[in-house]
Amino acid sequence: MILRPRRDDHAIVGKYLGKIIVGIGLLMVVPLVTSLVFAEWDTALDFVIGMGACFVFGFGLQVICRTEKDLKWSHGLVVASGSWIAATVLGAIPHWLSGHEGSYLDAMFDIMSGYTTTGLYLIQDLDHISYGLNMWRHVLTYVGGQGIVVIALTFLVKGTAGAYKLYVGEGKDERLLPNVIGTARAIWLVSLTWLAIGTMALAATGLMLGQEPVRALLHSLWVFMGAWSTGGFAPQSYNTMWFHSATYEIICTVIFIAGSFNFALHWAVWQGDRRELRRNIEILSFTATAFITVSVATFGLAHLGIYPDAVNLFRKAFYQVLSGHTTTGFSTIYSRAFVTQWGPVAMLATTVAMAIGASACSTGGGIKGIRIGVLTKAYIQDVRRMISPDSAVVQERYHHIRDIVLEDRIVLTAFTITLAYVTAYAVLTVLGVLFGYDFTAAAFEGVSAASNTGLSCGITAPDMPNLLKWAYIVAMWMGRLEFMSVLALFGHFYAILRGKS
Amino acid sequence: MRRAVWMTLFLALLLSVPAFAMAEEHTVSPHIPLSENSPSSTELVELPDIFDGTTVVYRGEVIGEAMVRGNWAWLHLNDDAYMERNIEEGAPLGGLNSGMPVWVPAPEVAQIGVFGDYRHEGDIVEVRGVFNAACAEHGGDMDIHAVHLTVIRAGREVDDPVSNGKLWTAIVVILAAAGVYLLDRNLDRIREWLAR
Repeated sequence: MILRPRRDDHAIVGKYLGKIIVGIGLLMVVPLVTSLVFAEWDTALDFVIGMGACFVFGFGLQVICRTEKDLKWSHGLVVASGSWIAATVLGAIPHWLSGHEGSYLDAMFDIMSGYTTTGLYLIQDLDHISYGLNMWRHVLTYVGGQGIVVIALTFLVKGTAGAYKLYVGEGKDERLLPNVIGTARAIWLVSLTWLAIGTMALAATGLMLGQEPVRALLHSLWVFMGAWSTGGFAPQSYNTMWFHSATYEIICTVIFIAGSFNFALHWAVWQGDRRELRRNIEILSFTATAFITVSVATFGLAHLGIYPDAVNLFRKAFYQVLSGHTTTGFSTIYSRAFVTQWGPVAMLATTVAMAIGASACSTGGGIKGIRIGVLTKAYIQDVRRMISPDSAVVQERYHHIRDIVLEDRIVLTAFTITLAYVTAYAVLTVLGVLFGYDFTAAAFEGVSAASNTGLSCGITAPDMPNLLKWAYIVAMWMGRLEFMSVLALFGHFYAILRGKS
Repeated sequence: MRRAVWMTLFLALLLSVPAFAMAEEHTVSPHIPLSENSPSSTELVELPDIFDGTTVVYRGEVIGEAMVRGNWAWLHLNDDAYMERNIEEGAPLGGLNSGMPVWVPAPEVAQIGVFGDYRHEGDIVEVRGVFNAACAEHGGDMDIHAVHLTVIRAGREVDDPVSNGKLWTAIVVILAAAGVYLLDRNLDRIREWLAR
């Protein structure tokens, strides 16, 4: 029997939603200060309006929804998924006011793409936007990578038992430390340390490549944020092709591979356990699938003879496919070049890499390496059982921070989520084909959206059908939260309408 | 958190003062049409095999910066809907950017006065060079190798005036936010006072 939520349930959800939206408002201080520093007055006003709207909504909810009760599981899931919607609607205000978006839907598309670290964009004339707006694009993708809820847990929510439910609701379930607030702060410690090192490395390279100091610094910060969060936003429309540099590509690759790793893995290495890098199932799974997909793409491109020599061929295939595999979305080729140069084999290899995606509890999206690893182990276990004597006990194990016995419930969970992703990929592909796009292109773009990658083969553009924009927005949202929180939100609305009192 | 919110609100109100001074009417320079590129960057990307290795004459707005690498330099020339006028000046939305990287001798870069960004509409330059669908010299990048460039039209500063409507909206929203914040902080006291 489904029970209709009571007034207290709404109050709890509203209270925490309000806190998270206040956090989004406070976040706008960063682009606001950037605009002030560069005397971009009109852009600064866009952020003042956006910030004010967040505060009115956030504090307003806290006024209306006053309660001292703590979160239950269902509340945590609803708050986590609902906060991403509210943050998208309100976070789109500065984009819309900038005049660079074709509609409010386009603005929301870009914001959802940023928060979910997807990287597809509809903003027009990116090469002429203000520093403030560019800062906002990258800050929201950086924050989205750690999780909107994680930032709220770190700064705004006091250590309640319910905090863990919010954290899990955002698609993360690793406890780096016994206390979930401590875990959220540990995630920030890891991210900020990488931010400092990565930005310095990119800035120094940018200066050597001939960039002016201010541009080198800002570009390095933004490219770092795009890489670490596996977001794929870049300050110029040329993406990372702008730099025409193997060194810049190598540094970006190191950062986005690191960003695609599980925060628990980072924490284990941080604590001195370097063996984890060799033993972790996600690393092994990523290495295997990356090797296969890069090899197939390289083979496909070699067959077409596009690139003049083996070094250039491998450099292009390696960067694009790994960028897709880590769900980053950086590219050093034009979007349309996937269709006009790469051809179906390399495109399909990239599509498969994007579909598999990054690690669980990371900044990335997709099915995730751990599920591919678990399902592979399950198949191996079944085959071993088939060929073993009836009396033999066959039990597979895998290593993820600790040794874990492969139980049926683990396999079932991995299978359920994998099936949800595959369904989302299929739905978006069919939708793209129905709108008249080529199958390979529709699959490439659909998988890119649902796996939060952001590589585009040219479908994502301001003149694409509005229904497809909506479908991609929903897919980015569901893919980032790994479906369960979103389904809980739908269930919440269903209970309001049809539940028993 | 309380301090952070107050600081933010204070900052936002402070901002209103210079923004008022900046509020003015929108002005746009006269529109002088330039001939369209043939081939355009879109055509080069769509039909790389046809144009690969051919000499093209390509014209576009210089974007961002020149990155000098020894005796040569990278430029990025956009030939999109914003090459003559950008959105801040009132140009209609015309889709995503499109352009082409160009590899030119470093001394040629000295001719360029303005690079396009938020505050500037860059010089429009014309280059004659060889189009490479996958340049062997530059990691397989799609580019044009030119030996000479000509500035067709000088760039200019772009003004993005503050609109009065936006300014008043900001003030109203910030005051409303301050009001709701104060209500949130003092609601329990207000309820107690009303109960008495």
